[in-house]
Amino acid sequence: MDHFPTNWGRPRNDAFDAYGTYPIHQRPQNGPKDAFVDGVQRTQQPIVTGTSVLAIKFKDGIMMAADTLASYGSLARFKDVQRLFPVGDNTVIGAGGDMSDFQHIQTLLDGLTIDEFTAQDGHTLGPAEIHEYLAQVMYARRSKMNPLWNALLVGGVKDGKKFLAFVDLLGTTYSASTLATGYGAHIAQPLLRKAVEGYENVLTEEQALKIIETNMKYQVAIITEEGVRISESKTLDTHWSFAEGIRGYGAQAQ
Amino acid sequence: MPAMVSAAQPVQRSFNPYTENGGTILAIAGADFSVIAGDTRQSEGYSIQTRYAPKVFRLTDKAVLAVNGFAADGNMFVKKVRQRLEWYRHAHAKDMPIRAIARLIQTMLYARRFFPFYVYNILGGIEEDGTGAVYSFDLLIYFKNQTPAPGTAFPKHLPLSTVLPLVIDSFTSATERHIEVGDGLEIYIVLSKGSTALQSLQTIRGIQELTATNDGERVFVIRRELKKD
Amino acid sequence: MFLTRSEYDRGVNTFSPEGRLFQVEYAIEAIKLGSTTVGIRTPEGVVLAVEKRVQSPLLESNSIEKIMEIDTHLGCAMSGLTADARTMIDHARVTAQNHAFTYDERIKVESVTQAVCDLALRFGESVHDEEAMMSRPFGVALLIAGIDELGPQLYHTDPSGTFVRYDAKAIGSGSEAAQSELQDKWHRQMTLREAQLLTLNVLKQVMEEKLDQHNVQLAQVTPKGFEILDEASLKEVIEAM
Repeated sequence: MDHFPTNWGRPRNDAFDAYGTYPIHQRPQNGPKDAFVDGVQRTQQPIVTGTSVLAIKFKDGIMMAADTLASYGSLARFKDVQRLFPVGDNTVIGAGGDMSDFQHIQTLLDGLTIDEFTAQDGHTLGPAEIHEYLAQVMYARRSKMNPLWNALLVGGVKDGKKFLAFVDLLGTTYSASTLATGYGAHIAQPLLRKAVEGYENVLTEEQALKIIETNMKYQVAIITEEGVRISESKTLDTHWSFAEGIRGYGAQAQ
Repeated sequence: MPAMVSAAQPVQRSFNPYTENGGTILAIAGADFSVIAGDTRQSEGYSIQTRYAPKVFRLTDKAVLAVNGFAADGNMFVKKVRQRLEWYRHAHAKDMPIRAIARLIQTMLYARRFFPFYVYNILGGIEEDGTGAVYSFDLLIYFKNQTPAPGTAFPKHLPLSTVLPLVIDSFTSATERHIEVGDGLEIYIVLSKGSTALQSLQTIRGIQELTATNDGERVFVIRRELKKD
Repeated sequence: MFLTRSEYDRGVNTFSPEGRLFQVEYAIEAIKLGSTTVGIRTPEGVVLAVEKRVQSPLLESNSIEKIMEIDTHLGCAMSGLTADARTMIDHARVTAQNHAFTYDERIKVESVTQAVCDLALRFGESVHDEEAMMSRPFGVALLIAGIDELGPQLYHTDPSGTFVRYDAKAIGSGSEAAQSELQDKWHRQMTLREAQLLTLNVLKQVMEEKLDQHNVQLAQVTPKGFEILDEASLKEVIEAM
């Protein structure tokens, strides 16, 4: 006889073991079986990739920025890709890593938003809930050895509380007043920390925008109690004339 | 020519589901108390991900768990342990004793022997007989209990007033010597019913009580800054 | 009581318009045909005693097994369709072992009783692609005795999956007379010895045959654990009556 009550049949709950038995995951698989599982390939590397997303906390909320380039290896393949994505009224997510996986995440979040909307139960998803959801999705996928190859920033304001957190393809999560993905984590993060740590509740929107723009970005999202504003793609003035004088940079005769 | 051979061979690229997020945890058991501490920095390689990601968690008023290793696994593991503690509470109408938590953690880790949780756990707290206890775990299996040798008592020369500065000094030193350690320190203290160490806690700066039940055991946390470089 | 039979006493999962499950009620009736079984809780431990119906002088009375061990700190006596109890006790044993394995502690008496009752009301159920586990309710009632951190305890379970804690309880054919006798004689500060003698005295009064060490069985759970009294000890208690 099978002594685990969770295996006994209806009424039963696949998520909760009401009987406190163990191990709960050892349960007969009665669902349909995929005959072609062995033929399925999983993502083992990203293909079309985006890189840095930066985000900081400021007095009234969160400011997040990303460039709009999606590369195919070292080729600058797509030049105007939106990597900031609003979810509901209070949240923006920014993605680095594989862009097709990010599009899949957008589909998931659209579905989630619709489910939540149709429930009409007075609950709305805030940034903390969306981050928790994404963390569970990302961790579940990594545990199936089939990751969604992204690093995501989730930022927002709800009920007067600012929220900014990170989750990546391994399901690693963390929260801080400044966050960055990709190269931004190495290059911009120290500068952002210097400018923001300790001033999270002091910095004005203008000052925050200045900090973000010194770190060179194209598209900016500002999330405050009033809602989400995402800018059009912006071009920044860049100055590369100094490169001429650098030996070993570009095509030089000697 | 080995170089040619390897170039002609298809290369298997595989996804590595693990990383290492640094940090340090420790625990010390006394006669009627237990101290469990951890720094709050989370890092990957040379990058600090955040200066505040807790590694030490109050499970019950009698048990505190510290997790170190791969942070995503660590957080998920704590979540699962807490879920099991709640189910146990519903099924058996009591808080799980620390020894049972230790065995539960062992079975949970071993159940995942083919895809381990990359976490090193230390569990500290108070046994049902009121003595301080520390259990430590490796990735998969067995646990060791820091208990006095048969017939001997706990070291009386290590009262709580000695242990706390020792813990702080240990983390200060570790912060100097190790790049993964720093930013903040969280020290959890579990006192057994009627512990005499209670007085020495009153004067500690910024101490916060986390006790949830009236069973007699008491849980406190002390937070300190560590160097951020 | 059951004179008006109707289609409602067929399906095990069909309520009658009066809100009754006849098959469960019939199962409870089956226990009243069983041999008398008595349990008494004292501060020192719990005593269980059963009557064995030795129908033939050729029958080996020690092959009748109506008290069984669940774990070292848990014992169980039964009345009714005793073959059904095997399934239940088997489940109780596995549950107790599983608890000890996972939590390194003895399972509580109430928890193991709950586990048995979870099983008791699983009759007639099935899931798509799976066989139904049981076709009818169990026809047996149990007295589960044990000691845990809450002290000595005695639980009674019946085929409806209901369980209740008792200080002293009798089940089986002589249960009505036995229960009123227990009600008279039981007191809070009873010693284990007094409880042993009381169980046997109660059985003696309801048994048709003369009570001896071959037609009763006596067991106890004390802080030392579960034990079925051997013939010599049992004889000694009977002589002291």
